[in-house]
Amino acid sequence: MSKHSIRRRAAALLLCVCAAAPAAAQRLLVPMDDSQQDHLKAYGITYNALKDGLSAEWLLNYRGGAFLLPDTPELRKRAALAGVTVEPIDDGQLGSIRAEISNSNMDAVPLEKAPRIAVYSPPEALPWDDAVTLALKYAGIDYTRIYDDEVEHGDLSKYEWLHLHHEDFTGQLNKFYLTYREAPWFIELMQQNMQAAKRLGFANIPALKKDVAEKIRQFVERGGFLFAMCGATETLELAIAGHDVDLAGAYIDGTPMDDDADRKMDWKRSFAFRDAHLEHSPFVNSMSDIDGHQVNVPGRRQPLGTFTLFNFSAKFDPVPSMLVQNHRAVVSDFYGVTTSFTRSVLKPSDVILAEEPGAPWVKYIHGDYGKGTWTYYGGHDPEDPQHAIGNAPTDLSLHKNSPGYRLILNNVLFPAAKKKPLKT
Amino acid sequence: MSRSPDALRVVRVARNPGRVTRGAWRVAIGSLLPALLCAPLATLHAQRESADTTAFYKALELESAGKYKDAAPLFRTALNTTSAVSALLGLERVYAELGWSDSLLVPLDTLIRRNPHESVYRSVQLRTLQSLGREEQLHAAIDRWIRDVPGDPTPYREYARLLLQRGLTASADSVIRQAREALGSTNDLQLEIAQLRAAMGLWEQSAQAWRQALATSPYLEQAAVYALTPTPPATRSAVRQVFLGTPIDVASRRALAGLEVGWGSPSDGWLALKDLPPDSLSAAAWTDFATRAEGEERWPLARDALVAALRWQRTPETTLRAANAALRAADPGTALTLLPPEGPNAPIITDSARAARTTVPIQARALAMVGRPAAAERLVARYDRFFTPGARTALTRAIALGWVRTGDMARARASLSTAGTEGDSSDAAGWLALYEGNLRTARVLLRSSIEATPELATALAIIARIHADSAPALGRAFLMLARNDSTGAATAFVEAADRQVAGDATSILLATAAQIRSALRDDTQAVALWRRIVEQQSTTPEAPSAELEWARALRRHGDAPGAVVRLEHLILTYPQSALVPQARRELDLARAGIPGAT
Repeated sequence: MSKHSIRRRAAALLLCVCAAAPAAAQRLLVPMDDSQQDHLKAYGITYNALKDGLSAEWLLNYRGGAFLLPDTPELRKRAALAGVTVEPIDDGQLGSIRAEISNSNMDAVPLEKAPRIAVYSPPEALPWDDAVTLALKYAGIDYTRIYDDEVEHGDLSKYEWLHLHHEDFTGQLNKFYLTYREAPWFIELMQQNMQAAKRLGFANIPALKKDVAEKIRQFVERGGFLFAMCGATETLELAIAGHDVDLAGAYIDGTPMDDDADRKMDWKRSFAFRDAHLEHSPFVNSMSDIDGHQVNVPGRRQPLGTFTLFNFSAKFDPVPSMLVQNHRAVVSDFYGVTTSFTRSVLKPSDVILAEEPGAPWVKYIHGDYGKGTWTYYGGHDPEDPQHAIGNAPTDLSLHKNSPGYRLILNNVLFPAAKKKPLKT
Repeated sequence: MSRSPDALRVVRVARNPGRVTRGAWRVAIGSLLPALLCAPLATLHAQRESADTTAFYKALELESAGKYKDAAPLFRTALNTTSAVSALLGLERVYAELGWSDSLLVPLDTLIRRNPHESVYRSVQLRTLQSLGREEQLHAAIDRWIRDVPGDPTPYREYARLLLQRGLTASADSVIRQAREALGSTNDLQLEIAQLRAAMGLWEQSAQAWRQALATSPYLEQAAVYALTPTPPATRSAVRQVFLGTPIDVASRRALAGLEVGWGSPSDGWLALKDLPPDSLSAAAWTDFATRAEGEERWPLARDALVAALRWQRTPETTLRAANAALRAADPGTALTLLPPEGPNAPIITDSARAARTTVPIQARALAMVGRPAAAERLVARYDRFFTPGARTALTRAIALGWVRTGDMARARASLSTAGTEGDSSDAAGWLALYEGNLRTARVLLRSSIEATPELATALAIIARIHADSAPALGRAFLMLARNDSTGAATAFVEAADRQVAGDATSILLATAAQIRSALRDDTQAVALWRRIVEQQSTTPEAPSAELEWARALRRHGDAPGAVVRLEHLILTYPQSALVPQARRELDLARAGIPGAT
C-alpha cells in the first residue's frame, strides 16, 4: 500500500469517526416538570453523575428545571432503578432545546463538581427528624455528619456545603427546658452538650455554641455554601450578632440574659438579619421577632398559608434561579421552630426567593457573605406542616414529587454550578 | 302540669290514712299548706316555662332554617329561663354564623354573675374570647374562674383543652403545672395530661396518664387508642409495658389491644387481653375483640377470644360462634370439643330444625375435616329432612372431601353420587377429578364453580398452563394439600414440575411449591425454588414475583446487600412488570433510603 493510499484511508477513517461522533454523543434529558416520576431521586442521579466525573447541565426554567446528562449505560441503569424519568435525545433535539432556551427566560448552566456535603447534627438520635438528611438519604446523596467536636477541630474546611437544621446556636436548647425538662431525651441532650462544652474548653453550652456559630460564619466568609432550615436560621444569626452578649436564660448558664442585649447586638457580623428584638423572657418559647409565625407562643402564633416562588431571570440571575427551580410556583407552608422571616428585619442585600404575598414575612432567602453564600428556608418538614416532636419521620417514597423538598435539593446542586458573574 | 314533690307526698299519705302515724300526719299538714299555697305559683311558673320553651324551640327551628338573625333574639329571651344553658349554646352558634361573637360577651357576664358555678357559661366565655383573639381578657376570665371555684379542676381542664386544640402544648403544660400547684394533685386532669403528653411526643408518659384516666373513665378507651396510635415503633414497647403492668386493668388492656390492631399486629392485641381474669368486663372485652376479628376474618384470634369468653359464661350463641371460628381457623378439633355431636353436652340446641341450620353443619364439616366422614354422614342423615337443598349439597361436598382426606376416593365419589346429577357435575366432582389427575374433567367442572377461593384460583391457573388431559403427579400434589400434608404437597408440586412435559406450567408449579415452603417458614427451601425460577424460568410470568419474594426473604434474614442485587436485577430485567414499584420500595428499604428500614 502506498503512502498516499494509507493517508487517504486514514483521512477517510477520521471523517467516519467525526461523522459518527454526533450520533454517539446522545444525551439523557431528565425532565423536572410533571412528567417526572420521581423528582427527588432525579437530583441524586445528577449529583452522583457529577461525583463520578461526568458533566451535566442544569436547564433553568426548561421543563421545571431539567437536567442534561451524558447518555451512558450506567446512568440509564441508575435512572431505571430509581424510577427517574429520562428521555434520550439526539443532537437535533438538543439543538431545538438550546434554541428554545436562548429565546426564552431560560438558561443552561454547566454543573462541574459534586460538592462535599456536611450535615451538622448531633450523633445521638433525637425525637425529631431533619428534612435535609431525609431528602439526601432518599435521593442517594452521600453526606458526612459532623458536630461540635468536628467543627471545633477545624473539619469544616473539608466540605463545600454545610447544612444546619434544628440546632439552637444561642445554646438554650431551643428552650425545650420549658416543656421537656423531664423527658429522658432532653436530660440526655443537656448532659451531652454540657460534657461537650467541658471537653472542648468552654464554660457552658451557650459559650460552646456561639463559638461553633463563629466558625460557621468564618466557613461562609471563606467561600463555603451554607444552607439552614428551621430554628438553625434564626439562632445562628443571633449567636453571630450576639457573640459578646449574654443571650441565654439563667436555667442554662446560671446568669440571666443581658437586659441590654438588644442594644449590644452587632448585626454587621450576621448574614441575613438586622435590628431584631430578642425575646427576654426565658418562659416564652421564642428567640426573637425574626420568626414571623411564632408557632410556640400563644397569642402570637400565625396561621399557615402558601408561599410563592419568585420567577427570576435565568440569564441574569442564575443563582437565585437555580434555588427556585420547581414544577410548582406556589407551595403550601409548613411550621418549624422558625417558620418564616419577618420582612422588617431583613438586610437590604437579602434576595427573597419565596414569600407569602401580602404577609409581613418571607419564607426562603439567600445572600452572599464574604466569598461564600448562605440560604435560609423556614420551617421543619415540607411534607408534615405541623410536625411535632416524637412524630414518625416522613417517608419520602410517598412524596416523590414534593415541591417543598425540591427546594432543599436545589441547594445541594447549586454549588456544583460553574460560577458566572452576576449581571444584576 | 307537674306537681311538686311535697304535694305528691301528701297525696300518697291521704290515700292510705289507716296506716298513717301521728308524726306522719304532722308532716302531711305541714307540707299541705305550702303545697296549696305554691300550687298557683307552680301553675304560673309552668305556664311561663312552657312559653319560654316555645321561644327556645322556635329559635332552634329558625336556626335550622338558616334564619340566624331571627333566631338570635329568641335565644336571648330564653337565656332568662330554665333553658338558659341550651339557649346560650344556641346563641353562640348563631352569633358565630353572623360574625357577632363579641355580642355574646355581655350576656355571658350576666349569666356568670348569676351562676358562677355553671361551667358551661365559663367554657363558652373562654371559647368566645379565644375566637375573638382577646388573649388578655381570656387570661383574666380564667383567673376569675379559678378564683370563683377554688379547688375545682374544671377551669384548668377547660383551659388546657383549649390550648391543646390550638396546638399550644407548651402553654397547656404550664396550665397543668399551675393546676398541680393549686390543687395539690392532677388526678382530675389525667385526660388532659394524657393528650398533652401525646401531643408533645412523650408517648410513655402519655400512656401512663391514659392508664390513670382509664381507671376511672373506661369510656375513654377509644380516645386513648386514637391519641397513642401515632407512637413511633421504637417507643411502642414502653407504651405496652405501661398498659400491661399490674394491677391488671380491663380498660387499659382493651386500649392496648386496640393499639396493637392499629399498629398492624392483631395477634399482639389478643396477647393484651388473653390473661384477663374471667369476669363480665373481661368477657365483654373478649367478645368485642372476637367481633372485630370475625369481621376481619382473623379466625384463630376470633376462636381464642370466644373460647375465653365461654370461660365466664357459656351461652349457645357464643358457643356456636366459637365453634364456627374454630372451623374456619382450620381447627375442627376445637369445633368438635365445643359442639360435640354426641355425649352429655350435646346438643346445645334441642330444636331439630334450628339445629340443622346452626350446629349440625359445623359438626358435620368438623367431623369430615378430622377424618370421620362416616360419622358426618350419619349426623347429616339424621337431620336430612330439615336441610334446604343448597345446605344438603354443601354438606355432601364437605363429606366427600372428608373421604378424600382419608384416602378413600371410591367413598368420596359414592358420597357425591348421593346428591344425584348435581353432585356429579359439581366443583367437588371437579376436585375429585383433579386429585385423580383427570385434568380434562377437572378443567370443565372447576371452571363452573361458584365459590371463588384462593385454592380454586391456583388450581385453575395451573391446569390452564398444562396442555395434557392427564397429570397424575399434579393430582397427587393437590391431594396431599387437601389432606393437610403441606410438606408432602410442596415436594409433590416440585415432582410435578420435573415431570411436566406438555405446556409451560413448570414455573407456576415451582412457585406454588415455594409459596407453601414460605408459609411453612422454610425460607431455605423456598429460596432454592425462587432461585430456580429466576435462573431457569426467567421468561415466565412467575420470574419477577419469585425474584421479589427472594429479595424479601434475604432482607428478612438481614442480607440487605443480597436483597439489593436481586431487586436491581428485577427492576432492570422486567422494567414493564407491575411489581417494579414494589421492588423500588423494597430497594429503598434495603438501602435504608427511607425510614422503616431494618
